[in-house]
Amino acid sequence: MIDPKDSKLTNKAIMTNKKIVRFENLKKGFQEGDRVRHVLDGVSVGFEEGKFTALLGPSGSGKSTLLNLACGIEEPDGGDVYIKETAITQMTDHDRTLFRRDNIGFVFQFFNLIPTLTTLENIILPQELAGKRRRDIEPAAVDLLDKVGLADRRDTFPDRLSGGEQQRVAICRALAHDPWLVLADEPTGNLDSKTGVIVMDLLLQLTSEAGKTLIMATHSPQVTTLADRVFRVQGGTLVEDKSVIDSDTEQDEEHHLAEVLAP
Amino acid sequence: MDTQPSTSLFPILMTSMRRAYRRPFQYILFVLGVALGVAMMVSVDLANGSATKAFELSTDAITGRATHRLVSGPGGIDEELYVQLRRELGYTNSAPLVDGFVNIPELGDQPFRLLGVDPFAEPPFRSYFGNQEGTGRFDQGALATFLSEPNSLFVLGSLADESGIPLGGTITLDRAGELTTVTVAGLLDPQDESNQRALEGIVFADISTAQEILRMDGKLSTIDLIIEDEADFAAIEAILPTGVRLENTAASSNAIQQMTAAFELNLTALSLLALLVGMFLIYNTVTFSVVQRRPMFAILRCLGVTGGQLFQLILVEAVILSLVGSLIGLVLGVLLGRGLIGLITQTINSFYFVVNVRSVIVDPLSLVKGVTFGVAAALIASFFPALEAYRTTPGSGLRRSTLEGKVENLLPRLVIAWAILCAIGAGLLALPGRNLILAFAGLFAILIGFALVTPPVTVWLMRAAVRPMDGLFGAIGRMAPRDINRSLSRTSVAIAALMTAVSVIVGVSIMIGSFRGTVVEWLNQTLRADIYISPTSATANRVEGSLNPSVVDDLVTWDGVDGASTARVVQVFSPQFDREITLAGVNGDISRGSRPYAWLPSGWDHDDVWDALATGDGIIVSEPLVLREELRYPPEPIMLETNNGPKEFPVVAVMYDYSSDQGMIWMGSDTYQTEWDDMEISTVALFVDPGTDPDTMVDAMRTEFNGRQDLVINSNRSLRETSIEIFDQTFAITSALRLLATIVAFIGVLSALMSLQLERSRELGVLRATGMTLRQMWKLSFLETGLMGLVAGLLAIPTGFVLAWVLIYVINVRSFGWTLQMDLQPAYFLQALAVALVAALLAAIYPSFKLGQMIIASAIRSD
Repeated sequence: MIDPKDSKLTNKAIMTNKKIVRFENLKKGFQEGDRVRHVLDGVSVGFEEGKFTALLGPSGSGKSTLLNLACGIEEPDGGDVYIKETAITQMTDHDRTLFRRDNIGFVFQFFNLIPTLTTLENIILPQELAGKRRRDIEPAAVDLLDKVGLADRRDTFPDRLSGGEQQRVAICRALAHDPWLVLADEPTGNLDSKTGVIVMDLLLQLTSEAGKTLIMATHSPQVTTLADRVFRVQGGTLVEDKSVIDSDTEQDEEHHLAEVLAP
Repeated sequence: MDTQPSTSLFPILMTSMRRAYRRPFQYILFVLGVALGVAMMVSVDLANGSATKAFELSTDAITGRATHRLVSGPGGIDEELYVQLRRELGYTNSAPLVDGFVNIPELGDQPFRLLGVDPFAEPPFRSYFGNQEGTGRFDQGALATFLSEPNSLFVLGSLADESGIPLGGTITLDRAGELTTVTVAGLLDPQDESNQRALEGIVFADISTAQEILRMDGKLSTIDLIIEDEADFAAIEAILPTGVRLENTAASSNAIQQMTAAFELNLTALSLLALLVGMFLIYNTVTFSVVQRRPMFAILRCLGVTGGQLFQLILVEAVILSLVGSLIGLVLGVLLGRGLIGLITQTINSFYFVVNVRSVIVDPLSLVKGVTFGVAAALIASFFPALEAYRTTPGSGLRRSTLEGKVENLLPRLVIAWAILCAIGAGLLALPGRNLILAFAGLFAILIGFALVTPPVTVWLMRAAVRPMDGLFGAIGRMAPRDINRSLSRTSVAIAALMTAVSVIVGVSIMIGSFRGTVVEWLNQTLRADIYISPTSATANRVEGSLNPSVVDDLVTWDGVDGASTARVVQVFSPQFDREITLAGVNGDISRGSRPYAWLPSGWDHDDVWDALATGDGIIVSEPLVLREELRYPPEPIMLETNNGPKEFPVVAVMYDYSSDQGMIWMGSDTYQTEWDDMEISTVALFVDPGTDPDTMVDAMRTEFNGRQDLVINSNRSLRETSIEIFDQTFAITSALRLLATIVAFIGVLSALMSLQLERSRELGVLRATGMTLRQMWKLSFLETGLMGLVAGLLAIPTGFVLAWVLIYVINVRSFGWTLQMDLQPAYFLQALAVALVAALLAAIYPSFKLGQMIIASAIRSD
């Protein structure tokens, strides 16, 4: 068991384990009027360390719900979520928050930057909330900003940034505290296609460089060609789609990226 | 021809109803804001109205159909005049009255008016003894008993029934501590409600019984007249002895009622203040409801709904909700009025006139006024938000940032508005004269000005707070002041509401504290005698009746008494001011030279003044008389109607006096006795030998006089304590109203925080998803509200000070004529900060609790 009070998992630990994100018989339904719509109906699946997994499926199929359950901001009706061997579904809300803060990065579709914080402040927020000193965490954040090409916008408030810039900041925020799991919920869904390419490029590049495990919900079949594994959410279950991966295994991922995502 | 397409608001109103059903909290706060404001207004109105109505009813009941009356000085009218009137002039439209106040322990603790009447002379004037069917439970036999048996009384049937007193039973009349047992010879049961109410405070005796009980042998209080023929005036006036005057009944009761006008206006102004704070709350709620629905409004505009319809929608919503709020406010107001009536009656009885109020009279006009004010306040407060709705364009779907941008642009204008309103307020306050309404208008202008400057000051303070807050609390500390500025349209209204309420607390606290300090100091300087004796009285702060002469003799010659000062306190008529004034005929100063004077003739000192009084060369008047009657310094001689006709008395000093706002006159007792032919003594103050313990002497006196006359014997210390108690009771109502204003403001802050929480649920969801713990979220909430409370508290300090200054130096002087020393203590300001902080922090509890229940994923999903 992982002590949530000392909840930072090392990448080393991750690399030595295989399926360290595991859903077991996960169920989730939503009340709609007087009936319950079952979005996830007994999902059991594992995700490997350091890999990029894409979740495909139409709107309302349960992709986002699955990500929310994975990071513990939503609770399942049944079943468990194991991260490494820790059932986060068994934790208290407080412990789950600490765990999330230290080990998971989240990229939202709608950027969701905090409007009262500057670019840099947004990025270091999770670490500051964890009580880290600003001077200790700033250099890494500035470095990240530099990588996404926004070094000169560190003191700008989000409302002065374009959508693409905001999402680049959001990616930095998701990675700044060096999480081993990054969850992304349609990160380019709210961007024009050209900007979407740049942002996706950055996200994949930064996560793969750092060896992060990335689970992404997406509508885009092109993006799935870059994934290590692809799952389709359908009928409340997850079905692995091997067709996309098989056809692309021999291709150079980095070279392919611009091509597949190009408008 | 251009035809206006028919439009219906109904479909959009349906959306409002659904929203109210799904998000009732905002609507409840709106209703509550109106309800509390209306409740305060209605309660004060009803309590004031009930006291006035009770006074009117009892006056009407006593006046009856009399058009005029003959009145005289404190000694009363010789009853021979009545005989002369009937026999010599043959004027049968006249009725004698003996009138005074008594306590009747068996009928409760309110004072009663004892009326001595002649039942045979009564019919043209009053019909209580008409013995028509249903007027009462008595027969001719009872009337005969009433006339022939001494100490027989007629009382209101329902009152006797309530107290379990049967016909033929006995009750005790306490007149200035002298007790008389009387028999209930008849019960009056008037059929109409107003007579029923009027008689709740009156008991009837025959003339001779009343004369005996009220110690008015051979004297009448008034002779009532019905004069229809102008010629009769001359005939009657021709036989009037000096000192007796003919008075118009309507004019005199009007003059008495005018006494409380300033007091009542002050209460009304305080209640309006609560409505003003309530308006902030309404504005806040409506603005929020508009901002939140803006995307929907934009869609509706796309679908063909006009801007005008959206404007109407907001106003229709305001009318519906304010009607609901007003109706609840009426119910609360009546309930609250029942609580206030006791406090108001106490003050009126202490300072103005005796009135017996048993219940709240629900005047429909007060209720209509309450609803009208409630709806009007809601419409005014909703106007600007409605205008915002009107301006929604189909494409815009404006978001909060646009609104906040507009607020930001408004800031310089708000500072200008503050300056202009303060200038207008100062101008209104500086206008010469004693107009109270203008003074209150000035005060309100300044208050609104300070409320308007709240947003710019908040922005400035919050910008300054970012760095220190960052240092203290890190990221959360940095976010709190920025969040406040970012949601300025919402936070500044809440801060302004809280600031206004807290400034009222500060202002009124300073005023009451200064007033209390001034009175305590005045009592210390004035009350230098060791023991004070007066007869028991129907009401606090009022001397009725007189001391038994044998009691006075025993008191002044008591072993160990070093000196005595006696006073006869009466009401005398001043033709110059066309009203009655309290006059004290005194033979010495109870302050022994230590009291301060507002004015002395140049070169005079205390001894010169009191020598002049003793030799009959002058009188002293109180400061309120000078201010009330707008006399100049040095005051001109004052004309009073004596038993020897009108006479002018030169003024030799003006004294501070806080016992009456109607003004008072002190005169040497010899002069008083000569001019009014009245040897009675109302109060005695004793100086005891050094080395004698006054408290022991008080105990000995109480034992000695027990059974002879019920006396109020106070040592110096206990008299001061009693005086301060009366003072505190008088201000109890102010404290109650102050508290209510705070509750309204508290709800304002709560409403604002709820609004913010709802609006920011997505952002807060993101924070939680990013790793903010619940405890950190509570911390953020409390830091934000704490800052809001702090800003409100800080702003309330200068505002409260200005309010206190205006209350003390303008409103108070114009209302009551009292000069007060402003007493500024740090405690008042610390209290302001504490109240604002605590109110704000308390208001954060519920929204924070709701935040704790937030499902993060849903919050992030919500738009």
